[in-house]
Amino acid sequence: MSTEKKSFSRRKFLQRGAIVLGGSVVASYLGCSPMRRFTAQKVESMDLPASISSLKPDFWFEILADNTILLKSPKIEMGQGVWTGLAMMAAEELEVSLDKIKVEHANTSSGLIDNVNTGGSSSTSSLYGPVREVAATMREMLKAAAAKQWNVDISAVKTENGTLSSGGKKATYGEIATSTKEWDEPKTPILKPKSAFKIIGEEVKRVDLKPKVMGTAKYTLDSELPDMLYAVLVKSPYLDATIKSVDSKEATKSTGVVKIVREGNLLAVVAKSFYAADSAAKKVIVEWNTPNKTQQADLIKLVTVGNGKEANIQKKGSAKSILEENKTEVFRQEYRTPMATHAQMEVNGAIAHVEANKVLIITGSQGPSQVRDVVAKAIDIKKDNIDVHTPLLGGGFGRKAAPGLAAEAAIISKLVGKPIKVYNSRQHEFQNGVYRPNTHHVLQAKMTKDGTIEAITHDQATPDMYVRNMVGEIGLKLLGSDFLSAGHGASLMYNVPNKSVSVWNTDVPIPISIWRAVGMFPNTFAIESFINELAHKAGKDAIDFRLDMLTDKDDKIIERSRKVLETLIEKSGWKTPKADGVGRGIAIGNDRKSIAAAAIEVEIKEGKIKVKKVTNVLDMGQIINPEGIKAQIEGCVMMGISATLYEELTVKDGQIEQAYFSQYPLATLADVPEIQSFLLEGDDVPYGVGEPPLAPIAPAIFGAVLNLTGKALRSLPLRLS
Amino acid sequence: MKIDFKLNGKPTSIDVDPATPLLWVVRDDLKLTATKFGCGMAMCGACTLHIDGEAVRSCSVPVETIAGKNIITLEGLSESEANLHPIQQAWMEEQVPQCGYCQSGFMMAAAKLIKENPNPTDDDIINGITNICRCGTHPRIIKAIKRAAEINNQNH
Repeated sequence: MSTEKKSFSRRKFLQRGAIVLGGSVVASYLGCSPMRRFTAQKVESMDLPASISSLKPDFWFEILADNTILLKSPKIEMGQGVWTGLAMMAAEELEVSLDKIKVEHANTSSGLIDNVNTGGSSSTSSLYGPVREVAATMREMLKAAAAKQWNVDISAVKTENGTLSSGGKKATYGEIATSTKEWDEPKTPILKPKSAFKIIGEEVKRVDLKPKVMGTAKYTLDSELPDMLYAVLVKSPYLDATIKSVDSKEATKSTGVVKIVREGNLLAVVAKSFYAADSAAKKVIVEWNTPNKTQQADLIKLVTVGNGKEANIQKKGSAKSILEENKTEVFRQEYRTPMATHAQMEVNGAIAHVEANKVLIITGSQGPSQVRDVVAKAIDIKKDNIDVHTPLLGGGFGRKAAPGLAAEAAIISKLVGKPIKVYNSRQHEFQNGVYRPNTHHVLQAKMTKDGTIEAITHDQATPDMYVRNMVGEIGLKLLGSDFLSAGHGASLMYNVPNKSVSVWNTDVPIPISIWRAVGMFPNTFAIESFINELAHKAGKDAIDFRLDMLTDKDDKIIERSRKVLETLIEKSGWKTPKADGVGRGIAIGNDRKSIAAAAIEVEIKEGKIKVKKVTNVLDMGQIINPEGIKAQIEGCVMMGISATLYEELTVKDGQIEQAYFSQYPLATLADVPEIQSFLLEGDDVPYGVGEPPLAPIAPAIFGAVLNLTGKALRSLPLRLS
Repeated sequence: MKIDFKLNGKPTSIDVDPATPLLWVVRDDLKLTATKFGCGMAMCGACTLHIDGEAVRSCSVPVETIAGKNIITLEGLSESEANLHPIQQAWMEEQVPQCGYCQSGFMMAAAKLIKENPNPTDDDIINGITNICRCGTHPRIIKAIKRAAEINNQNH
């Protein structure tokens, strides 16, 4: 693997009597995911300002005097288990037990800044090389320092469980770290081969487990600052509303109110307690301008294939002309996915303390560096004067890749001159949020007489989901459409002689965002549901039908996909007789180089679709934390069931109609199916885990319902009547 | 208004607006932050704690109604870290939490459930606990509740 041979320039210095080590290597790795590299190249060729700036980490690992190792994570823990994965990789090369590694988020003022957000299931895979390299280098530095102190050759120094030894001499890492004044810089060591792993791939307890069970884990709202006040925002339930007039006479008189502040369309009640602020906020009378009059029908019409700008993203053979010439034989279907929200359990919130030349922000965000940027802009202060601290996130799913409330908190703190804590109500989360947009898909195919696909096309209509944030308005225009995030997963992986895929980009008057798995979710629903329909039409077994189109032996993705499906046949009992009243369906997707497939059994209970059993096979390359991977798969299954059977946001008169959990049902304990998960290691490097298993769930349920009832329900959420 | 009650076994006195929801008193005034805000409308259960042994959604309980009562939050569920409540033991064994935000509420609801029903079936659990989790820890929650019931029964 190239990363193992690569040496890196690093900085090391003494800090608080401990070694501290970082490296500019991290910057190059972080900027290295194919999507980012691609975008960066695009940006470069477009002569736009680069959206990915270079990173200058100060420190990353630190050995503390008590022999624990502090790992300042540039990636954000939002439940996906990234802290545990990074700690396992570091512990492996450092030769320490996992409990010796303490993980925290880096602050933006002193830590490693990830300018590209935590997301895209890329954290563990992108840091697999760098974390181990830095850890191994650190271990060698400790060995060299011990050898010098003991006057022995470095080869005579052994490391085990956080202790260095040579003959009768013994010292902990902490002891050597605190007693060493000058460090020798070793060559980049050779990393452990897979066969020598003692921690990577083993079952461990996640590093944040105990605090989360004991209730001591800290999230944004759990922090406070001395002399802090609470702010409650007054918002309109209508999208894009602006303030016409404000009457705050009654609110001002309310108990505990300190001030009512307004800057532009930001209106907030500041009080000594949340309850005082919240009670007073209800007394503020606001007249709003509500220019956004969007109706649900407008959204459906806007997001329809044929509307907007088309970008062809995949072309092989002459699919379009074959379909054109054989019109009567073409099988054509349309699929739709609805607008949805993240509904993460922790609402967005922030604490800000703005002083003359110093700003402290505490907020749970997937992108602390973006938080710093928006705060700098909002209160016109230099970025270097802002320090963003990130507590644990109570769920992200893409929602916390958007800016959150840091700018609002900073503006209010500046106006009031005190630390401010502000957070959304649940209603704000629903109605003043950013949303997964609705999508429309047209799939067409011509089959041969023996039931194989001769030509296939997929047209996806979608607003952009994230690309605008990366390349800006002009960038999006030049790209033609958002085939990177919204169009993620739109391509057809099967070995079919003629295929063509286009993404149609339309803007919608709704704030949009990324939602777990991004474009992979709607695209896999449409494509894999269509494949299920084609197999059904051809009277073929849904897995065999796919295997017959996974034939290119030189394509590693295809070969790994075959293996995943073959494993799924065996593990799910796919070819065994099924019980009466049960339908079976399957789907597969390749996402972030991982291959995920699910076989699902459903039944109809009291007129409703009930998912009974889900068998997952995931090839995610090198396994780091098997239990963590299984937890992510289970999470994807539950979120998948939720999004497939229940979730839908609608808009009326420019207002999101669902304001509470009761109006936006999610999967609950009652929806838990029997879940089995099988992991395949198709490669020696780890790939994405947090999102890939989500995409197959919806089309596999579609297939199972089709199998059971003969009905093809082509719009999410799936409804029998 | 001064209100006296017991919090995790300790006599506690608070002087706040009597209409303040208990959730904010526990979190902001008494600094016990395991109990979470999720919706403020008793729909999600993130703020579940015990009032005189009943599992209650504290975002919708005015503090004036708890005078003289006994409040237990997650911080007071176990006797000590060395002697964990069966629910917390099982939550550790099954590695239930992902983001962790809703777990305090789930654990408090589950603790009440196994106290009342020492051998809960899947249906008892599904019908007895209506909290919301977004990470999808539901399968492990069901397993952990059954495991906790087992631990509980062994202890007695």
